[in-house]
Amino acid sequence: MSMMVKDKKKAHAQQIKDRFISIFIGIFALVWLFPIVWTLWSSLRPYSEIRAGGVFSPPQELGLFNYTNAIERMDLPRYFWNTAIITIPAVFLILLFGSLIAFVVTRYSFKFNVAMLLLFTAGNLLPAQLVFIPVFKMYLAIGDAVGDRRFLYDSPIGVILIHVAFQMGFATFVLSSYMKTIPKEISESALVDGASVFTHFFKVMLPLLRPPLASLAVLMTTWIYNDFFWALVLMSTDNKRPITSALGRLQGEFVTDYNLLAAGAMIAAIPTLIVFFILRKQFVSGLTLGSTKG
Amino acid sequence: MLNKIAGHEVDRRSLLKGAAAGGLGIAGATMLAGCATGGASSGPIAFGARTVDESPTKQLKGLIDAYVAKTGNEVTYNATESNAFQNNLSQYLQGTPDDCFQWMAGFRMQFFADQGLLVDLSDVWNEIGDQYNESYKIASTGSDGKQYFVPQSWYPWGLHFRKSMMAEIGLDPESIYNWDDFMGALELLKGKGLIGLASADKGGWEAMGTFDILNARINGYQFHVDLLAGREKWTDDRVKEVFAYWEKLLPYMNTNVLDLEWDGAMQLLLQKQAGFFFNGSWFGANFKEQSQEDYDDLWIVPFPEINPEFARDTIDAPIDGFCVAKNGANNAGGADLAKFAGDKEGMQAMLDTGIPMTSANKNQDTSTYDPFQLQQLAVMNEAKYITQFLDRDTRPDFAGPIVGPAFQSWFKDPSSTNAILESLQSQWDALPPLA
Repeated sequence: MSMMVKDKKKAHAQQIKDRFISIFIGIFALVWLFPIVWTLWSSLRPYSEIRAGGVFSPPQELGLFNYTNAIERMDLPRYFWNTAIITIPAVFLILLFGSLIAFVVTRYSFKFNVAMLLLFTAGNLLPAQLVFIPVFKMYLAIGDAVGDRRFLYDSPIGVILIHVAFQMGFATFVLSSYMKTIPKEISESALVDGASVFTHFFKVMLPLLRPPLASLAVLMTTWIYNDFFWALVLMSTDNKRPITSALGRLQGEFVTDYNLLAAGAMIAAIPTLIVFFILRKQFVSGLTLGSTKG
Repeated sequence: MLNKIAGHEVDRRSLLKGAAAGGLGIAGATMLAGCATGGASSGPIAFGARTVDESPTKQLKGLIDAYVAKTGNEVTYNATESNAFQNNLSQYLQGTPDDCFQWMAGFRMQFFADQGLLVDLSDVWNEIGDQYNESYKIASTGSDGKQYFVPQSWYPWGLHFRKSMMAEIGLDPESIYNWDDFMGALELLKGKGLIGLASADKGGWEAMGTFDILNARINGYQFHVDLLAGREKWTDDRVKEVFAYWEKLLPYMNTNVLDLEWDGAMQLLLQKQAGFFFNGSWFGANFKEQSQEDYDDLWIVPFPEINPEFARDTIDAPIDGFCVAKNGANNAGGADLAKFAGDKEGMQAMLDTGIPMTSANKNQDTSTYDPFQLQQLAVMNEAKYITQFLDRDTRPDFAGPIVGPAFQSWFKDPSSTNAILESLQSQWDALPPLA
């Protein structure tokens, strides 16, 4: 009898604890959601109303007019296309090169493999703002050498290359720590069966790397999609720049219609959301990658 | 160099005279241009606009269309949002710039001209120079005495207010001539529970206009430009006096100066919560967007006199216009386009788009001005000297990163004036010499 009472008491205490935690989590969820909800709310109101009554004024007019206006002014198809021709090749190259390097530094032991891994990872720690002037000058010099200044500078190729260079370190790091968890025996049996280095990589290792490759692809796509800096400093023609700079088109020199900008921001966020929802399983496993294995 | 940006003295009569003379000059100049350039300007030209706003874009496209129709040259139009354009200009000019691009006069132009990134436009000035007052030519001149800039338009900084609101209160701002009149008006507004002077400085640049005008009124034009060029010290007692006057304005300002950007302060005027708003007249476009009624209600007067020695002889009136990039593919074509833009024909093409503009060209027919624009011109004409605004008149690495935060910290603690000025001076001294 007394045992049951004790259990009940325990269960009751647990219930209170759960409720407390739920409230706590709920508050945090609200805090996190607030900016997004506020952006959504702003995007449905006209700027003239805000100007006349302030941000907290009761709405008189709600609608999707900011969205139609933003789509028109942002020249969306062009800028989405610009983003696509930068993001897709960049992600592909990062994964290809990243997995190649990871393969070499984990499967083959030679003197410098740890040093090499360190080098690639350390490169990732350099702030972009620190190296952009030399990169810019180098691109111009290479352009002058081949006789076309727009060879790398002001060209999607240049932006793709810099993304590959910057993100490869992280990709290498993640892939190599995953690869260490794949039993050495698999590689050994491949070698015994007479697989060449290429067969070993493409036919044996690559299929096993599918989960980390998928989650890296999601992360890289989001990062490169969100990049504004490199496209700004390495491109001079605005209509070659990606979608992030199209958002700037909604800003005036003096007058910024924040409600229109809010609508534009919501639109620009949609592709990342789609990618996230399609691959959200990989995204979460990507974040915890290597934390339990190896 | 800055001390040369002077000598702006136009009254309406000389403006009209200039218009008549300029008209004749143009006919000759365009005929000459017709036979002289011809082949030199052929080949495609790239034009870089530093705006994506609707009205100025329409205006610039009107200009480009007129140029293409006249010369048959091919022009590509590249537009970049103004902040992105400005932040990236150094790379833009070193890399693959457009041939002709939109930029600003004064130190901001000289800075890039000194680095050899702009094309010398002295020849263009020889042809169209007689259509401009001397002050515009000085503002277009680099430190080597050559011209690198063709002016397009300007706007004045002054005290803005709503006519209807002032009438209701029984104030006549046009009769505010000196500091005491102004303080009286502010006191009256405060008595009615209103904000006297709407102010903002969240962006770090808004308050620079107030500093400019106080310094020019108290210490005169020459001291102001010398200070910004580093020939006078920020620790000078005369600068301290500027802040002493500024402090007297604080009780009449909104309390959230550092929380508002310029448009927040503008809203205070629009919503009739504030009596005066000291700002560039460009914000009139916002009033017009709100309603024609609000725009018609808007008016501007010069900032009051403080020191009778200098009266009201100086005004901040930034000039926008065009430059030609040295690293562009077609320098001659770019210069030809800049010449057309500065010429009466180009100005007319921009006005024909129906977008209001206060042109720098003295041939502009002022009958196209609405009353508010005419009043801007009157405010401008009372001044003898034009300055370009603090962040255009001094080193870019001083204005934004150093002066901006210094003024902001002054708003937080006005009693720390001396410490702030000392820090400003030591930071100026620590800047590397300009190339």
